Amino acid sequence: MDAEIRFTLNGKSVIFIGNPLRRLVDVLREDFGMLGVKEGCGEGECGACSVIKDGKLVTSCIIPVGSVDGSEIMTIEGLREKEEGKCLIDAFADGGAVQCGFCIPGMVLASYVLLRSNPHPTEDEIRLAISGNICRCTGYDLIVESIMLAAKRGEELWTK
Amino acid sequence: MDEVKCFIPKSLDEALRIRKEFHAKPLAGGSDLMVSYYKGIGIAPVFPFPVMIISNLSDELGTIRKEDDGVHIGALSTPNEIASSMVVPYPVRKAASLMGAPSLRNTATIGGNIGNASPKGDLPQPLILLDAEVVLRSVDGERRMKVDDFILGSKKTALADDEIITGIVIPEVKATHYFYHKIGMRRANAISKLSLSALFDVEDGVVVDFRASSGAAGPKVRRSRDAEEILIGLKLDEVSGKTGEFLSAWNSILSPHAMPEYRRASTRRMLLGFIEEVASGALPGNYE
Repeated sequence: MDAEIRFTLNGKSVIFIGNPLRRLVDVLREDFGMLGVKEGCGEGECGACSVIKDGKLVTSCIIPVGSVDGSEIMTIEGLREKEEGKCLIDAFADGGAVQCGFCIPGMVLASYVLLRSNPHPTEDEIRLAISGNICRCTGYDLIVESIMLAAKRGEELWTK
Repeated sequence: MDEVKCFIPKSLDEALRIRKEFHAKPLAGGSDLMVSYYKGIGIAPVFPFPVMIISNLSDELGTIRKEDDGVHIGALSTPNEIASSMVVPYPVRKAASLMGAPSLRNTATIGGNIGNASPKGDLPQPLILLDAEVVLRSVDGERRMKVDDFILGSKKTALADDEIITGIVIPEVKATHYFYHKIGMRRANAISKLSLSALFDVEDGVVVDFRASSGAAGPKVRRSRDAEEILIGLKLDEVSGKTGEFLSAWNSILSPHAMPEYRRASTRRMLLGFIEEVASGALPGNYE
């Protein structure tokens, strides 16, 4: 039973035709080539598949594509084209936040959502904002420091 | 490939008709259903029943507002929306703020959390403390019942096969002191090991109202008006003399199937701490 789902993906209008129960993570990766969206746990807990839906962080592995009709979806591929994305990615690189990298697209998206609403977060606020993004390499400290670095460097980006 | 029906209604009316004709199960945030029927990477979940995706009906089912009979929370309201709405009473806001992780709090819904009726669900527990009602709608009309009566047991509810949960109504409750605590294994994405909420309403040194509600300590959330009555009507300086009687009455209504000693002892300790604090004259809390 095919459905026609129209949504915005990284600023472009797209149409999906198919089973509306397919998971958004699968559709983004397989149909639209957004390989920055990773699947870790498949249960909405690890945050590797995080995307931004209508401005909010969500885990795309528990969302059926049928529920994004009319939504705006942003993945790391869209964020990296924005100034805010470049600022975060550079800060993550310079801060040594990346080891295997699997969690990083989700981490960067979670950081973006945080800094957009709270340009000067405390360490606790950062840890809360990335609490749904699990990293098995870094122990988080360098990620937290990198987000602070992005907040500091990007000053006017986050307050505009 | 077996054909499982999946509908995407454009309005609540359409959803109610689909519910009546096909008994399609509403799929809202997906945080329970999509996980329960997960088949693997690259594979669409397969449901053994017809489903309808209702997440786009939030215009009709996603508002939170205060009315004469209490706070109305639309079934599609998410934990983040509930946690940040100051018209929602403290224990419900607090429970919502501690569910899952930030992303889950943007997708899960209050209707789903009640409809799923997990003994470890976070929202039924404070809702039952506050005598909240669930609003059920079908093409034939609307009915309301207490959440406590709606949830029959673990994963069992009184939902009819033509009904949809459209919202929750929390009647106005007077309280001077609230308690809410959830015990989980970590700060994020923790399934409750145990949860408890309680409230006191103290006027001129007399306990006008006292309630408690225990989550994850049995097949469903437990309350006991009989046990609560033990403390109601007492002067604050009489409370400590009756606390032991209350605690043993409360203990008798719990039926945890795993780690019962731990769950009983922890419940007792939380209740005792809260009761002693209020009985010793703690000022009314600020629950902003």
